[in-house]
Amino acid sequence: MASLAAFRSEFEPGPELEVLPSQCGAQALLAALVREGVDTVFGIPGGANLPIYQHLPDFPIRHILVRHEQGAAHMADGYARASGRVGVCLATSGPGALNLITGLATAHFDSVPVVAITGQVAAPTIGTDAFQESDVIGSCLSVTKHSYQVQHADDLEEIVAEAFHVARTGRPGAVLIDIPKDVQQALVGLKRPLGRHRVHRAPTEPPDRQIAAAAAHLGAARRPVILAGRGVAIAGAEEVLRRLAETVDAPVGTTLLGTGVFPSPHPLGLGLVGFMGTGYCNLAVSECDCLVMVGMRADDRVTCRLDGFAPRAEHIIHINIDPAELGKTVDADCQIVGDAREVLERLCVAVRPQARPEWRRQVDGWRERHPLRHPRNGRLQPQEVLSAYYSRRRRGDITVADVGLNQMWAAMSWTGGEPGIFLNSGGQGTMGFALPAAVGAQAANPDRRVFAVCGEGGLVMTLQELATAVEAQLPVKVLILDNRQLGMVRQFQDDFYGGVRSQVDHLVTPDFSMLARAFGCFGAVVERHDEVGPALDAAIAHPGPAVVDFRIDPEAGIFPIVPLGGALSEFVECPYP
Amino acid sequence: MTLAPPQASGARLISVRVEDRPGVLQRVTNCLSRRGHRLLSCAVGEGSRQGELCLWLRVDTGRQPPAQAALQLAKLIDVVEVADLTEEAPSEWAVGLFDFPDPRAKGLERELERFGAQVVERSAERLLAALSGPPQLLEAARKAFTSMRLRDWVCSRPIALATTGGRHEPITQEEG
Repeated sequence: MASLAAFRSEFEPGPELEVLPSQCGAQALLAALVREGVDTVFGIPGGANLPIYQHLPDFPIRHILVRHEQGAAHMADGYARASGRVGVCLATSGPGALNLITGLATAHFDSVPVVAITGQVAAPTIGTDAFQESDVIGSCLSVTKHSYQVQHADDLEEIVAEAFHVARTGRPGAVLIDIPKDVQQALVGLKRPLGRHRVHRAPTEPPDRQIAAAAAHLGAARRPVILAGRGVAIAGAEEVLRRLAETVDAPVGTTLLGTGVFPSPHPLGLGLVGFMGTGYCNLAVSECDCLVMVGMRADDRVTCRLDGFAPRAEHIIHINIDPAELGKTVDADCQIVGDAREVLERLCVAVRPQARPEWRRQVDGWRERHPLRHPRNGRLQPQEVLSAYYSRRRRGDITVADVGLNQMWAAMSWTGGEPGIFLNSGGQGTMGFALPAAVGAQAANPDRRVFAVCGEGGLVMTLQELATAVEAQLPVKVLILDNRQLGMVRQFQDDFYGGVRSQVDHLVTPDFSMLARAFGCFGAVVERHDEVGPALDAAIAHPGPAVVDFRIDPEAGIFPIVPLGGALSEFVECPYP
Repeated sequence: MTLAPPQASGARLISVRVEDRPGVLQRVTNCLSRRGHRLLSCAVGEGSRQGELCLWLRVDTGRQPPAQAALQLAKLIDVVEVADLTEEAPSEWAVGLFDFPDPRAKGLERELERFGAQVVERSAERLLAALSGPPQLLEAARKAFTSMRLRDWVCSRPIALATTGGRHEPITQEEG
């Protein structure tokens, strides 16, 4: 019988509760957050969560006051991605809660552990269409891993413990706790003897035969390729991934979310795979006879036309902690459910060292024939800005890309040997992600330098969070690749929609340097090549948040690109020499 | 409308054990609709374990791989166990109520007896009969009863247990 219980519920002893008789629900919540190790939360107070804010100053939790709830969710997301801890955001009921949804979806789709805590109208008024009432639980069903509406203040500690456990275990995700105002104000009961919460059984270790089969497939392959996704970063499997690749001499490509999990440059590195992947990576996947996909979902941006994805592969090995991802799009013949690091460690033991000089020569030949290129027309190119930026990166610096051309340029130009420090919204592709996520990443890592790479279109969607950065003294550096248009949409219209440029030009774009200064940031505009380096240096040297507006070639596009409906191997290269 | 389980392409019969918590049905149905699965039928009942509900879902997975519905349901936090019974030759059982306006209709008693229906209410203007059994039996009875001037009828969706391999593997919950 096909019995599926990989994530079944169990109970395990929780920490002993320390609820004092005089505590109210809001205090119990805050105490529980402290117990979970929460040191920072992002949010906005409002009518339905004021009891929480009333008691917040009594707890050792830093609150960062955002300017819009979407920003709070993205900040919690950035905090979590950059720290490995659970990010927490707060919002009031109604519009406050609903404003979180885009941010929760962004986190959830990218498997980021975030706990959102929303105030709700008092329990007796739920369902009466009370002021600022919204069904946030129902609204968030599809964008959260789980959600709770707290019915009794006594349940708060248990629910918080379970919510954090759910958010960070298995495949991480977003969790919502909705707390009616009267529950926040109600007194909790006396200390109970022992708390408990449900835990979710981790997937069982894959059987030896699956590991052996995967090792045999790799051993017999003449043209193996490994593709790696964010699951590698979540599992901390970067080192073992490199060890496996070098042991079996297999080139490694990454998904957008996997950017950084394999060092670049590296002789085996293929860069990005997929819709806007490198030509040599896409060719290698198209020609491989054995494909290993680890910690990735294989969505349409990776596979492009499905029947053109790894068409010559005799074996596809798919490793993912989420069993539902196996066989969802790509029908892998060797499906392994498990943590990326554990599986790769076992694979490393099971495989034998091999050299594949012929395959390497072929891949290197593709690398030479299909290099990443960009126009050299005298106008400022985004790749030139990014090259100058990356050359100034220090170990530990965090780069947060927004969404659109800027994201793809930043990912394709990425160089670095240190994993886990290139963040972006891959699953949802949420424009406006970078600035607030960078603020969150900076809050989690006050000693690191954090850079947000944005387009001007995405930046203005969450621009108000510059005020948050200044107020919270979080010195993020915002690099705008400003083409005065919705660049990726423009390229799609040019390439795939008859060349009709419709509603993509930003005829009115603010002077971002003046705007930055209005918020209290450093601001600069760069239009010439010789200004790039000095502007970057000045922004980096500035002790607070900084914004540099790089006026790039408005016609700059992303290449290579696979035409819509095309196969990976049908990529189109940069038409300019 | 028919009583027999719709045999849509890709239809799966899925048994789900869930914790009896507020909103759990919403989570289950949302999980299916969000993925483009069509919920053809749903029966809900109590199982042998306290605090749990049993759901029997017939789902058309449409263009999605057939296993996806069960795999996605298994990820829900309140779901204790999911079993895809489609290939298990499950024993399915449903209940129907049949409302006849003329208790003296010719042949009615004989038809009720033939299908094993039980009379639960009888008056001069009404005969209410109940029948339980496999969905196919109820469908056959409905067709036969329709010719007896059936005023109204209602039928539950089937509950099911696998006939091969016995009951689902019990889940042990360890309490702290």
